[in-house]
Amino acid sequence: MRLSIYRFNPETDLKPRMQDYELAPEAGDKKLLDALMRLKTIDDSLSFRRSCREGVCGSDAMNINGRNGLACLTPLVGLKEPVVLRPLPGFPVIRDLIVDMTQFFAHYHSIKPYLINDTVPPERERLQSPAEREKLNGLYECILCACCSSFCPSFWWNPDKFIGPAGLLQAYRFISDSRDTATAERLAYLDDVYRLFRCRTIMNCTEVCPKGLSPSHAIERIRQALVRESS
Amino acid sequence: MRLFLGQRAWVLQRVTALVLLFLLALGAATLLTGPPLDYERWHALATSTHGAVLIVVFFAALGLHGWIGVRDIALDYIHAPMLRLALLAVVGVLLFAIVIRVVLTMAAHFAGGA
Ligand code: SF4
Ligand code: SF4
Ligand code: FES
Repeated sequence: MRLSIYRFNPETDLKPRMQDYELAPEAGDKKLLDALMRLKTIDDSLSFRRSCREGVCGSDAMNINGRNGLACLTPLVGLKEPVVLRPLPGFPVIRDLIVDMTQFFAHYHSIKPYLINDTVPPERERLQSPAEREKLNGLYECILCACCSSFCPSFWWNPDKFIGPAGLLQAYRFISDSRDTATAERLAYLDDVYRLFRCRTIMNCTEVCPKGLSPSHAIERIRQALVRESS
Repeated sequence: MRLFLGQRAWVLQRVTALVLLFLLALGAATLLTGPPLDYERWHALATSTHGAVLIVVFFAALGLHGWIGVRDIALDYIHAPMLRLALLAVVGVLLFAIVIRVVLTMAAHFAGGA
């Protein structure tokens, strides 16, 4: 198979370049990540992140033939060749396919991604009814791979101010948690022309999420919650 | 600091869009039906109390909707503070002037007791 991969080494290169590779996948190579791992045995200067190799850690997000995705979840069969691999769009490149996620995680932390509850904790855990637990489905599964935020035009224009689909989906995960008592504060924080309202419902985020989640739907629900809150 | 409102602007944008849509449809329906559209009819429509109020409402909604839209575009694409301020000021004044002009024209007409 043929690949064309974005290469940039900050220590030696002034500009990034695309490098072509020829690779003969072997029997067990099913996913794009397998091919990359094999490529790494040929050219060990090629850099990319990966860990779980099964769509759980979110570290091998990249732009595959123009679309963001996880290399470990992308089957080799059906990939148009040459397979063009680039780092996540809109993120600063550290080296090759590795991008700087500092800002992405700063946005994530800004929405306080943990339960806030000042009431006295019960003897054992805080219980939820099955219906309350059900509300977290489609939200808690997010692995923070950044495929969505990196594919969001609004995030490209204002990466420092717009929280982005991943952070907003996480925000809604805590807003809709029955055990969390800080809903009003969370909503007040999001009621901002940049943080939430840069989203224009372009829906690239939902279109590209490798976990099949829908950040744009979560954003819509936050907007509805805000309207309810203020009426 | 709420210099740029979040959800209020967003709600207003949607409400004004609905108002514009409704008035456009109403306007089209009125103009396309009935007697041929000449100056007499225009004048009669625009100077009836209903017509005048709706025209003012239309331009007010247009001004607001336009303002929020341009502000959104500026927030997205224009990051130089001075340039953004200048653009927003020009567009704001322009839109405001249009609305005021419509209001004044109507007011003058009704004050003139036609
Ligand atoms: S919402 Fe989907 S695409 Fe976005 S960070 Fe979470 S898992 Fe990744
Ligand atoms: S729906 Fe909103 S968050 Fe998702 S890609 Fe579009 S602008 Fe970005
Ligand atoms: S390697 Fe963990 S998600 Fe792909």
